[in-house]
Amino acid sequence: MQTPILEVKNLEVSFATYAGTIQAIRGVDFQLFEGETLAIVGESGSGKSVTTKTLLGLNAANATVKKGSQILLGNTNLADYKEKDWDQIRGKKIAMVFQDPMTSLDPTMTIGKQIAEPMEKHLGKKAKEAREAALALMKDVGIPDAEEHIDDYPHQWSGGMRQRAVIAIALAAEPDILIADEPTTALDVTIQAQILNILKAQQKKRKMAVIFITHDLGVVADVADRVAVMYAGKIVEKGTVNEIFYNPKHPYTWGLLSSMPTTSTALGSLHAIPGTPPDLLYPPKGDAFANRNAYALKIDHEKQPPFFQVSPTHEAATWLLDKRAPKVVPPEEIQKRQAYWQEHFVKEG
Amino acid sequence: MARYILKRALILIITMWIVVTATFFLMQILPGTPYNNPKLTQSAIDQLNATYGLDKPVLVQYWDYLINLLHGDLGTSFQYQNQSVSTLIGQRLPISAQLGFQALVVGVLLGLWFGAVSARNQNKKLDGFLGVISTLGISTPSFILAIVLLFVFGYQLDWLPISGWGDSFSQTILPTLALAVTPMAITTRFVRSEMIEVLHSDYIQLARAKGIGEDQVIQKHAYRNSMIPILTLIGPLTAGLLTGSTLVENIFSIPGIGQQFVSSIPTKDYPVIMGTTIVYALMLMVMILITDILTAIVDPRVRLQ
Repeated sequence: MQTPILEVKNLEVSFATYAGTIQAIRGVDFQLFEGETLAIVGESGSGKSVTTKTLLGLNAANATVKKGSQILLGNTNLADYKEKDWDQIRGKKIAMVFQDPMTSLDPTMTIGKQIAEPMEKHLGKKAKEAREAALALMKDVGIPDAEEHIDDYPHQWSGGMRQRAVIAIALAAEPDILIADEPTTALDVTIQAQILNILKAQQKKRKMAVIFITHDLGVVADVADRVAVMYAGKIVEKGTVNEIFYNPKHPYTWGLLSSMPTTSTALGSLHAIPGTPPDLLYPPKGDAFANRNAYALKIDHEKQPPFFQVSPTHEAATWLLDKRAPKVVPPEEIQKRQAYWQEHFVKEG
Repeated sequence: MARYILKRALILIITMWIVVTATFFLMQILPGTPYNNPKLTQSAIDQLNATYGLDKPVLVQYWDYLINLLHGDLGTSFQYQNQSVSTLIGQRLPISAQLGFQALVVGVLLGLWFGAVSARNQNKKLDGFLGVISTLGISTPSFILAIVLLFVFGYQLDWLPISGWGDSFSQTILPTLALAVTPMAITTRFVRSEMIEVLHSDYIQLARAKGIGEDQVIQKHAYRNSMIPILTLIGPLTAGLLTGSTLVENIFSIPGIGQQFVSSIPTKDYPVIMGTTIVYALMLMVMILITDILTAIVDPRVRLQ
């Protein structure tokens, strides 16, 4: 089996607040392989952004990564890193594309300089070389008339163009891993597709591994090779994109899939997951999803489910997979959707 | 740019006219006369009034003043015989300008530094210490501080001269410090809160994600962005220095415009009061104009229209 370029083991992150300690990440494990795209999906507050910020040491000052957590990049454990060590990782090994292009660029620096900055720092380029390289990169991410616009300031550009600049900044120091934190959420739909295509093209060209954070399952289907579903600070199901869409096992994944809007009226009305996520100041004893779960068993409220292996690439943390559990089939709307997808989309590869 | 400056110049002229008018009529309300000498006979007073045109109706005096002003003539001082107000101000203004400029530079530079240090150490001991310093600085009037500095460094320790101007640079140190504390304190507080806000912004997070190091993040990204609102402070700070200097100049016996201004009021030296007010107003207006232009240079989003 391939060795992962990044391996996260038992990651726990908590935030000290006036109200108490929030256990934002409660034991997350995943692996990232060369050249693949791993999508991390989940609703707001599920911990997907905190997970990725932890990979760059960018969490707020009140965050603590619990001892024993491991973020293995090659032979180094990033979980032990001090502030000054991170500069060798940020931009150079792991880079990030942020969510909101309208606020992510420094309003007082020209875009060319912002793209050149990581090149000067990590690739040892002189100012002039870096400017040339920034220009080339701007063209590469599809910024038209880059020569004329390299000295523009961010406010002169549209959101879609700014997001291209943000992508160029992330790519500037040729990172091995790119984290895209909801890179299309703040953009309108036509621009979303363009940005996704740029990301996919650059990933292929540079053989980067991508961690894609999103709550949009449509985007997941478009970009991901593998999917990790997060809920209340834990991963509840992991698998290839086909396994997650066509053979989901966790009731939360079912909920997410049936709340996915579609263009077909034959699939019925949009479903919502009832209730709200648990308060992570007081994380529940059992499965965090149990209170919102129509299929919850008694044990779900008492004991956290372990991961059950569904296939070599697919695992889910739900007691429904225990051999003593009653046989439950996914809800009807999931089955309808699967039939619809089967008919309308054929995933290549 | 040229159009913008022209427009601002026009606004400046209108403002100046309002300042002149307001000061002129306020002076009329001022009780007392320029003639404090009890030996002066009524006929002598009448003669002096005629010489200076004070016997004319107020509106005529106002009109005459405006016309003279347009010719660049600020009149003649009552207090200093046969000295024109422009000459008086011309001698004293450079001294006050140097003092004010030194205080502004020292105060703002220290404020920028303290504020940034405070913001980077938010809620730590150093931040608390600097917070106490800046609160003290804001709440202590410069003339109190001037007396304290004078007493400690001038008298008890005998390190620095206690008064005078123009003989050595060391004479300027204590008055500069006394005046610099308020701008320092105000700038510190302002920079701190601006910087804290900027440090939490998305573009600073992106800059950090580049791995260029926290010092670079602060110098290249945070400073410039926190600077923009601070530039708007320089106008009001200048105003504070102008008023502060009137008292501090008196304490240190500095022959500046402030000292002259203060002494002109009880003696009802109308032309000097008018002339000094006009110069103060003009300095403030020009300072504000300069900061507006500076803002446009620092912040590309502001384009002068």
